[in-house]
Amino acid sequence: MVTIRVNGTTHQLDVSPDMPLLWALRDVLGLTGTKYGCGIEVCGACTVLLGGEAERSCSTGVGEAAARPVTTIEGLSPNGTHPLQQAWIAEQVPQCGYCQSGMIMAAVQLLRDNPHPSDADIDDAMDNICVCGTYQRIRAAIHRAAAR
Amino acid sequence: MTAVQPTRRAMLKTLVAGGFAIGFAAPLGGLAQRAAAASTTTAAVGTWVRIRSDGVVTVLVGSSEMGQGVYTSLAQLVAEELHVAWADIRVAPAPADSAYANPATGAQLTGGSMSVRGYFTALRTAGAAVRDMLRAAAAQQFGVAVSKCVARNGRVYVRGTTRSAGYGELAAAAAKLPVPTNPALAPASAWRIIGTAVPRVDVPAKTRGAAVYGIDVRVPAMKHAIVVHAPAVGGSLASVGAKPRGVAAVVKLKNAAGVVDAIAVVAATTWDAMTGLENLDVSWRAPANAAQLSSSAISAQASSLMNSGTPVVADSSGDASSAVAAATKGIDAVYEVPYLAHAAMEPLACTASVTPGHCELWAPTQAPGLAAQTAAAVCGIDPAQVTVHTTLLGGGLGRKFENDFVSQAVQISKAVAAPVKLTWPREQDFGHDQYRPMAQIRIRAGLAGGTVHGWSDRIVSPSILFQRGWIPDGAVDSQAVEGATELPYAIADRLVEYVRHPAAVPVGFWRSVGHSFNAFAVECAIDELAQLAGADPVAFRQTMLAGNPRASAVLQKVADLAGWGASVPAGRARGVALSAAFGSIVAQIAEVSSPAAGRIKVERVWCAIDCGQVVNPSIVEAQMQGGIVHGLTAALWGRMTFTNGVAGPVNFNRYRMTRMRDMPRVEVAIMASAQPPGGVGEPGVPPIAPAVANAWSRLTGTRVRSLPLQ
Repeated sequence: MVTIRVNGTTHQLDVSPDMPLLWALRDVLGLTGTKYGCGIEVCGACTVLLGGEAERSCSTGVGEAAARPVTTIEGLSPNGTHPLQQAWIAEQVPQCGYCQSGMIMAAVQLLRDNPHPSDADIDDAMDNICVCGTYQRIRAAIHRAAAR
Repeated sequence: MTAVQPTRRAMLKTLVAGGFAIGFAAPLGGLAQRAAAASTTTAAVGTWVRIRSDGVVTVLVGSSEMGQGVYTSLAQLVAEELHVAWADIRVAPAPADSAYANPATGAQLTGGSMSVRGYFTALRTAGAAVRDMLRAAAAQQFGVAVSKCVARNGRVYVRGTTRSAGYGELAAAAAKLPVPTNPALAPASAWRIIGTAVPRVDVPAKTRGAAVYGIDVRVPAMKHAIVVHAPAVGGSLASVGAKPRGVAAVVKLKNAAGVVDAIAVVAATTWDAMTGLENLDVSWRAPANAAQLSSSAISAQASSLMNSGTPVVADSSGDASSAVAAATKGIDAVYEVPYLAHAAMEPLACTASVTPGHCELWAPTQAPGLAAQTAAAVCGIDPAQVTVHTTLLGGGLGRKFENDFVSQAVQISKAVAAPVKLTWPREQDFGHDQYRPMAQIRIRAGLAGGTVHGWSDRIVSPSILFQRGWIPDGAVDSQAVEGATELPYAIADRLVEYVRHPAAVPVGFWRSVGHSFNAFAVECAIDELAQLAGADPVAFRQTMLAGNPRASAVLQKVADLAGWGASVPAGRARGVALSAAFGSIVAQIAEVSSPAAGRIKVERVWCAIDCGQVVNPSIVEAQMQGGIVHGLTAALWGRMTFTNGVAGPVNFNRYRMTRMRDMPRVEVAIMASAQPPGGVGEPGVPPIAPAVANAWSRLTGTRVRSLPLQ
C-alpha cells in the first residue's frame, strides 16, 4: 500500500512502490492528462510536478513520490486558468496536443526558475519532444505568460 | 490537385467497397458528446448538425483530428453557411458510417491532405441546408413565407417584423422537414468565418489534460494489455511459457496473414503487463531470409536494381536520353533516403470490447470504416455490428491508417471476454512500424542554353501498394513516383521510371508519402544544375516556370520574404526548394550554419504556400511550421536501420527528433487565391530537406546526396 497526495487529494494505492508514478496516475487514478511517450525519461510527455519540481513520472517510482505532493496537468489550476494555459490558448499552440501537458508542466518550472527567459533560455530548459513541431508557438506562449 | 490523386481515390474506393454501413443510431460516447449530453433536448438536423435547445450547435466531423485542425476547419465550413456564432459551435467525431465519407475519396479516411478539399462543398451545403430548414420551420411557426425568414447569428428573423426565434427553439421542428438538396451558398466575398483564424475548438481541452486520445480511453471493467512482436520482420512465435504471477492472460496474436507474430500480456494495469512480460518465457522464430533484411544489404540491392532492374515508365515525353546526351553539360547523380519511423507522440493504442454478436471499439484511427471491417473479420460478424468511437489522435502521420493494432485489441478482448485497452510500448511502436520506404533515385539531366535539357529520373523503392496487393507486379506505384512526375517545371524531354524493390520490410504512408523523397532528389538535382550553370537557383527555376504562374508566384513570394539576393550573415548560406503536392504549391528557403565541423544548424526558414482558398490561416501557418519540423527531423537525423530484420533504434534516445533547441525561426506567407482549396497537412514537408541540403552545399562546397545529412 502506497499513500500519495495528488492535486491536493490523498490516495491509498494498492500497488508496488516501484510502479512508475505515470502508471499509477493513468491506470489506477484515471488521471490520463499525464502521457506515456517513451518510458525512459527522454521525451518529457509524462512531466509532472513533484514537490514543485518538474519530474518525468515514467521513471519515478510511486514510492518515491509518496514523500512529496504531486501536481498533474489536471491540478495545475481550478479551471484551466493558469497563465501558461491561457497563453497556450492565446497562441493556439497545440496541434495533436499529446505532448502539451508535459510541455506546460516543464514551462511551469522554467518560469519559476527564470521569470523572464530569453529564447536561448527556453531552448535550454524545454527539452520535451513535440512531433507536430509546435516549438515556435511554445516559445511565444512562454514569453506571453512571462509578460503578464 | 495532381493527376496521381485519381489513382489514390480509385484505390481507396476499391479498398472500402462494401461493408461500410454502420448503424447511425449507435451510441457515440466519450469526447465532445459529453457536452451535448448535458442538454435536455438535442435535435438532429440532417446528417451533420445537432442543435441543442439552448442554441449550441454540434457539428459532426467525418475526418479524424490528429493535430491538423480538421475539427475546426471543417466546422468552419458548416458555421459559415449556418450563420451561427463561432462561440456556439461544438464538434463531435462522426460515427463510422458511409454518410460521413469524404466526397473526394468515397471513404471515411483521413489522409492525403484531403479533408478540406473533399468536404469543402459538402459541408457548406450541409450548413446551408440546415439554415434553410430552420428558416422553413420559422416560416411555419410564424405563418409567413419562407422568403421572409432571414437566418442570422443563431436566430431566424421575420423580415419587417419584430418576430424572431432562436435556432434552439426551431431545431425540433426543423428536424422533421425535408433536407433541401440545392441550398444557396454564399459567395467567397461574403464569408465571415471561412478565411479567418477562429480559435481551434480542441485547444482548451488540450491545455487542461482533458482531451481524450485513444490511449486515454477507460471503460468499466477494462483490463490493460501490452504487445510484444517477433523481433525480426517476418518472424513468428516459437514458444511461450506459462503466464507469470500477476498476469491475467497471455494471448497469441495473429497478423493479417494468419501468422502468430506477437503476444499480448494482459493485466490489471499497463505496468503490471510490462513487468509480467519480463517474467514470461517467450522465444521467437527468425525468418529464413533474415540476412537479406539488413540495411546495408537492402541498399546494395537497390544499387543493383538501379543498374539491372526492369523499370516501368511512370511518365515520358519527348526523348530524354537523346536530349541528355546532346546537352553541353549535365549531372548524373544518385540520391538515397532511408526507412523512417512515424514516431507519433501517442504510441499505438486501441480499446475493444467484444461481446456475443457485437464489438465496440475506441480507436485513434485515421480509418474508422476499415477499423470496423477489421474488427468484424476477427469476430466473424457483420461490420454493422461494430461500433467505432474515433478518439482524438496523438499524431497520426499515416501510421494510424493501419489496422494491425485494432485487430490485436479485438483479438485480446475476444480471448479474455472482457474489455481491453491495448497499448504498444514505445519500443514496439518504433520496432514494428510500417515504415516510410527507403529509396534510391538516379537523376541524369542535361544543361543547354542555361536551362534543363533532358531529364531522366529512375526511382528504386519498395512499393507500399504492391506489398498490400493493391497493384500487380510490374505496375507503377503511384505513391512511389508522386513528386517525380508532374513537376512544376516545363521540361520537354523527360522520363520517369520506377523499379520496385522487393525488400520485405513493411512500408506504409508517412506524411507526404512519395513526395517526401522525390522532392529531395528532384530539388537537389535542379539545384546542382543551377550550380553547374552558374545561375542563381531562384532565377534558374523561374526560367522553367513561365507556364506555371502559380508556382512562379510562390517561388517569388518566398524569395521576397527572405530578401533573397541580399547579403547573408557571415558563416551562413541559403538554399531554396519548390514542391507541388496535394493540390498546393510550397516553396521554402532555409538558412544554415555549421556550429561544429559537419554539424548542421538550420537557423531560419521562410515558407510560402498557395493552398487556394484558405479556411483558417492560423492552422495553415501551424501546418507549415509542423511540416517543416517533421521534414527537418528526416533531413538531419531520421533513419531506421535493420540488422537481420530487426529494427535498430527503437526509442527516442536513439531516434533523434527535432527539439526546441533545433527549431529554426520560421516565417510563413500564405498566397491570396480564389482557386479551390489545396491540402495543407502534408505539403509543408517535402521542400525542407532539399532546401537544407542545397544551403549546406553552398555553405560547404560539398554536395550531400543522402539523408540524413549528418
